Amino acid sequence: MLDRRDFIKAQAVAAAATAGGISLPAMAQPSMVAGEDAQLTWSKAPCRFCGTGCSVMVATKDNRVVATHGDMQAEVNRGLNCVKGYFLSKIMYGQDRLTQPLLRMRDGKYHKDGEFRPVSWDEAFDEMARQWKRVLKEKGPDAVGMFGSGQWTIWEGYAASKLMRAGFRTNNLDPNARHCMASAAVAFIRTFGMDEPMGCYDDFEHADAFVLWGSNMAEMHPILWTRITDRRLAHNHVKVAVLSTFEHRSFELADIPMIFEPGTDLAILNYIANHIIQSGRVNKAFIEKHCSFRLGQKDIGYGLRPESVLEVRAANAKDPTDSKPMSFDEFATFVSDYTLDKVAELSKVPKERLLALAEMYADPKTKVMSLWTMGFNQHVRGVWVNHMVYNIHLLTGKISEPGNSPFSLTGQPSACGTAREVGTFAHRLPADMQVTNPTHRSHVEEGWKIPKGLLPGKIGYHAVLQDRMLKDGKLNAYWIMVNNNLQAAPNSDNETYPGYRNPENFIVVSDAYPTVTAAAADLILPAAMWVEKEGAYGNAERRTHFWHQLVNAPGEARSDLWQLMEFSKRFTTDEVWPKEILDANPDFRGKTLFDVLFRNGNVDRFPLSEVNPAYENRESKAFGFYVQKGLFEEYAAFGRGHGHDLAPFDTYHEVRGLRWPVVEGKETKWRYREGLDPYVPKGEGVRFYGNPDGKANLFAFPYEPPAESPDKDFDLWLVTGRVLEHWHSGSMTMRVPELYKAMPMALVYMHPDDAQARGLRRGSEVKVMSRRGEMRTRVETRGRNRPPRGVVFVPWFDSARLINKCTLDATDPISKQTDFKKCAVKIVAV
Amino acid sequence: MHSDAPDRPADALAEWHIASILVHLRPERSPDVRAAVAALGDVEVHAEERGRMVVTVEGPHEGRIADRMTAIHLMPGVMSAVMVFHHAEPMAARSADEVGTARR
Repeated sequence: MLDRRDFIKAQAVAAAATAGGISLPAMAQPSMVAGEDAQLTWSKAPCRFCGTGCSVMVATKDNRVVATHGDMQAEVNRGLNCVKGYFLSKIMYGQDRLTQPLLRMRDGKYHKDGEFRPVSWDEAFDEMARQWKRVLKEKGPDAVGMFGSGQWTIWEGYAASKLMRAGFRTNNLDPNARHCMASAAVAFIRTFGMDEPMGCYDDFEHADAFVLWGSNMAEMHPILWTRITDRRLAHNHVKVAVLSTFEHRSFELADIPMIFEPGTDLAILNYIANHIIQSGRVNKAFIEKHCSFRLGQKDIGYGLRPESVLEVRAANAKDPTDSKPMSFDEFATFVSDYTLDKVAELSKVPKERLLALAEMYADPKTKVMSLWTMGFNQHVRGVWVNHMVYNIHLLTGKISEPGNSPFSLTGQPSACGTAREVGTFAHRLPADMQVTNPTHRSHVEEGWKIPKGLLPGKIGYHAVLQDRMLKDGKLNAYWIMVNNNLQAAPNSDNETYPGYRNPENFIVVSDAYPTVTAAAADLILPAAMWVEKEGAYGNAERRTHFWHQLVNAPGEARSDLWQLMEFSKRFTTDEVWPKEILDANPDFRGKTLFDVLFRNGNVDRFPLSEVNPAYENRESKAFGFYVQKGLFEEYAAFGRGHGHDLAPFDTYHEVRGLRWPVVEGKETKWRYREGLDPYVPKGEGVRFYGNPDGKANLFAFPYEPPAESPDKDFDLWLVTGRVLEHWHSGSMTMRVPELYKAMPMALVYMHPDDAQARGLRRGSEVKVMSRRGEMRTRVETRGRNRPPRGVVFVPWFDSARLINKCTLDATDPISKQTDFKKCAVKIVAV
Repeated sequence: MHSDAPDRPADALAEWHIASILVHLRPERSPDVRAAVAALGDVEVHAEERGRMVVTVEGPHEGRIADRMTAIHLMPGVMSAVMVFHHAEPMAARSADEVGTARR
């Protein structure tokens, strides 16, 4: 007879065998939860961390999350959980959780150099409103700004966009997603006229070849990595190519491993295009019918401050986005410079490996999936490199069908759903609309029921520019939500911190924990997180998924949604809108921003009675209507009928997410192909309908070097990134004792010969120094990351060791995304 | 290789944790991986088929589970180690008749 432990162990084994498709002798169907767990309440929620969008089952008891499991019903993760997901239940219970607003005070009132003192929400918002009104009066809307996040829920990002653009009349709103996938988003729009991937995760089970371009999926997307591993191990013909500037865990599965010189991915991609053309494997029918060719602008600078010598020297730094039409033959001539010999020399990748890689794309019988994250996007030529991967998929017609899939992965749970689809970038509006387009603005004004001409048409400050403007005293009232930018931003000691402490500025940080960013603020607002509120995220494969509020936030902590809406009550239209607009629209006079933005007949349309009585919903209770549903339905109206169709609100509480466009109740797995996408008319085969002519754009760009390369003074490349155990800046995962113990500090990973040449060994204490700053840590020569000679890798999760003091604030000039992967440092013994 | 999370004091609140982990490995590296897994302690291999292996970990706290899972994930020859099932209970609960089950 089995004892209890044997019984539970048998269940555990059966569950894993089922998830892995392994046959076990005569096993009963597993029951997942035993004993006391049976009394817990289980609900679904998407994971709080990366952009994969795993679904987890969350157990609550006495207003506390006590356990989580991978969700067996979820298509994305099929019951699996990575180590971060396993500890989800603990992220809300760090001992230093913020539970009340904290204001810098001296002698009983706000003082920039005061000490943090607890205040009530009323006192906090009073001071904040006073500062906002002062700045608006002195300098106008351009001096007010907000830095949000791809971790905002969909309705939080949407409410923020309304408050900033329509309330304060500024587009100085940007998400931290600018740091992580702006290059991908911009290239999508320029190529296809529409953002986000055409394929989805189902491509993993159809592809014959996988190519990782600057992505360490084994550590950063472990659940998706199991799907690639499954495919590779179960099918002998399947091959995996991994490209990186240093060897990492994903190389374990690589059939074609490639370490390349930083920045030369541009040349490798042009070589592949050249190889496809030279070997006669262009899909001519496809490109004639579905593609246009354009010659892009070259020598576009590096997105540094305009007075920087690199910007002054660049021929086209002022108009980096320009391009002009070219023919296929001209394109072929352009890439013909990128021969195997030349690119092998430049990239330092052996010729036979480059050729094998190029053949994966060129062979018409091989279905290929390209995957990338920060290696591509955090790149001074990030937009180009994204374009170049579309070039090779389009030349061969390997796109928009199962297994043929250029796929941009994301790092945040709602980088797609909130930052991109809702449009919280300084240049975007909902459903891919743009602030500079008067027709788009007018359409949004109608949808929001606000006066014509109210929305500003000038692009706001992007992430890095916000920091520069804070430092220069041009941006003075600033609200940071759900992100830790003092740790995340480049060249932070010179370009980020000074702006926070500039006496002209008032900085507000809403967060769940006292991050380094919060510590540098003037007012800290305690935030509710994850299942402490009703939420919605959009993952990397266009999947929108919802969760209910499952527990209450501790103390006075409140959701970002409540904070945004409550703060809007402190302003009247007369205070913040121009006289001409109010003269022409007298009905709007004397109303609060809350009235005109959230009590507009749309957002307050659904009564409290529609809230599921089984779940708490603090925001709806506070405002007296079903806030999340009203915001979602107003927002969704912009995309319906335009290729961004979302299902009705209530549907998402029932399902494990749906991939948009959702047309007649059906999700869309592959876009732009007849039979798979309802938006492609019969008889067209393929139509890239985001562009008016239905064609995708290929762009010709050259290889250009990074902004800063090693030299005799700073002789090593610095690459920054992440590790398995910690998510981004570590503000949540470093508070889980088990994850902290597993990876307590950021080490500098380097080649043993590079260490030896400097008289260093594994464990030696060193300084990592750049022209901008330094950071102290220890050397690791044998760890999971193995850089080649001349390259060091340092992760950025560690708030005690801020590697971004060393990085350079060079951005892609088109996407304005920082290159965190390439600058020059030296390593010296302490 | 890996550093273990130190055990917490064995007091009245002592718990028993068990988790199952699905491991993907290169089939030709199976003997090395099995040896390395066995050397970790608190770990049992239950099944292996076509590069997939089912492993259970037992220990007094989640730290042990996370530590073993991370160590396996980072082993040469292993592509990934992901969690499928986790259960915890006070040390006292033992007999089979206490078992109740519920479906998620």
